[in-house]
Amino acid sequence: MRILVVDDETDLVEALARGLRREGYAVDTATDGDEALEKASFTPYDLVCLDLTMPGIDGLEVCERLRANPVEGVAPRILMLTARDTVGDRISGLDAGADDYLVKPFSFDELGARIRSLLRRDAGRSGAVLEVGGLHLDTARHHAACDGTTLDLTPKEFALLRYFMSRPGEVVSQEELLDHVWDEHADPFTQTVRVTVGTLRRKLGAVGGDGVIETVIGRGYRLGARGGAG
Amino acid sequence: MSTGPAGVRPSRLRHIRLPAAGIRFRLAVLHSILLFGVAALAVGAIYQNVSRVLDDEPMSRHSAFTELVDTPQDNAGGGLQVFEEAVNRRALRQLRIYSVVALAVLFFASLAIGWYAAGLVVHPIGRITAVARRIQGTDLSRRISLGGPPDEFRELADTFDDMLDRLDAAFEMQRHFIQEASHELRNPLAVLRTNLDVVMHDPQSEPEDFRAAGEVALRATSRMSSLVDDLLLYAHHERPDVHRDPIDLASVVAETVADFAAAAESAGVELRAEVAERLPVVGDPVALRRGLANLLSNSIRVSDPESSVLVTAGHDDEKVWISVRDEGPGIDPDDVDHVFQRFWRGDLPSAREHGRSGLGLAIVRQIAEGHGGQATVRSTVGVGSTFTIWLPRYVDR
Repeated sequence: MRILVVDDETDLVEALARGLRREGYAVDTATDGDEALEKASFTPYDLVCLDLTMPGIDGLEVCERLRANPVEGVAPRILMLTARDTVGDRISGLDAGADDYLVKPFSFDELGARIRSLLRRDAGRSGAVLEVGGLHLDTARHHAACDGTTLDLTPKEFALLRYFMSRPGEVVSQEELLDHVWDEHADPFTQTVRVTVGTLRRKLGAVGGDGVIETVIGRGYRLGARGGAG
Repeated sequence: MSTGPAGVRPSRLRHIRLPAAGIRFRLAVLHSILLFGVAALAVGAIYQNVSRVLDDEPMSRHSAFTELVDTPQDNAGGGLQVFEEAVNRRALRQLRIYSVVALAVLFFASLAIGWYAAGLVVHPIGRITAVARRIQGTDLSRRISLGGPPDEFRELADTFDDMLDRLDAAFEMQRHFIQEASHELRNPLAVLRTNLDVVMHDPQSEPEDFRAAGEVALRATSRMSSLVDDLLLYAHHERPDVHRDPIDLASVVAETVADFAAAAESAGVELRAEVAERLPVVGDPVALRRGLANLLSNSIRVSDPESSVLVTAGHDDEKVWISVRDEGPGIDPDDVDHVFQRFWRGDLPSAREHGRSGLGLAIVRQIAEGHGGQATVRSTVGVGSTFTIWLPRYVDR
């Protein structure tokens, strides 16, 4: 899941990026509307955390433009962050196409919960828990298990598993994983996707999840039916 | 009606109602006494005159009467006189009775008419009182809108409505200001909270992460405190000071420029001043110093090293001016009208983070206007800006 955080307060953007990365998201940052629109024009973000009042192009306009020109046909979910909390402000934010609205200062836990809820809407699920075969993933508690055995995953491995589990049976390319699980700092020419998929497979294999992540030669990976559980 | 202290209301109502009823009662009594008094005088005067006429000139002694009757016998004349006196007495008694009855009727009629007329007069007061009572502390949207002929009551009600308009506008401004101020405070609060939240909740946070969060917290709190300082200043200067003395603005300018010498030097900016000899104005030296200081810190901030800031001060016949010219980037023509607005910081993303409250120039304008003057700016992009405070010149006799 790849998120763009936009706010003119650098100190806030950096703290949000740090916290969200810890939760396993791939996070890019922008400090004004122009930068946000530029980054969103070539990266299909899953979600944009957008400050409403920014100098230059403000959050409302960014929101409208993101809705009007979606990358790869899918507009990102938009969570508006703002210091303004009158009813009029909320209405104009939601009318511009924001999916949710959070008033500053907010608790980071609440932000996390709202982001999870917005991302779940994409997949058409209602809970924070993903279940595929014997795999169990609780996105709110950051807990992953295979057949009841807890998996000890790094944030990146967790994010990778979550991405696979939100698309069971689909072939997922390396580029797609780079777009949605890694952020702008990842070097597209390294082996980072292959290495992380490798470590995730090893950890799954250690608890009986051999062959859950299949390699589709020339196209990518797929979360398939489990070899062990049949 | 819903939020009023129900237990207190009835007694308060009585306190408010009594004087209104009192005026009506007093007016009615006064009206009645005057009407009755005038009527009683009239009736009394008529009675007096009629009775004197009847007493003083008995018809039987009138020469015309003796000629007409032509019986000069004393006897017959004496009987006639007695008869006449009896007739007169009876007529007077009748007149007395009618007068008393008429006065009694008049007394009650005048009371009733007085009560009614006083009611007509007092009615608009009741309406004004009712509206005034219904106005809640913060809801000033109600108006009396008395209507009717342009009389004294209409004038009173209209004056009252005008006052409500002014109060309403003042309250609205206050509300707006508080709203803006709280929005401004929320941004550094969000920075503070998110940074602490993220570091505290991460079990893998290292000491240097806490240190970095602490530094962010320091920045955010110093921003908040300078914002709060400026908010207080702004609120303070919103009410024009009453305590004013004639002062020499030249010395205020010289002292303020001297205060900024160090700041200018560390920014690498050349700070020069050309101040005329005597610049008499009536004002608050502390406020005027603050106004000039805001202009100077603004100009030094936007100046590149090696450029200069020039302070000039002078006067013409009516006005005294202080001017601060910088060679900074200048202001976009579209923005020139906004620079004195509170919380306007231009389109610089870094403005807020550099601890600028967005109130500095708004305070300058407030101080200038509070002294009966004004603040202006002329600017050319790429050349620089000139901010000027104009004040009325004090003429010593």
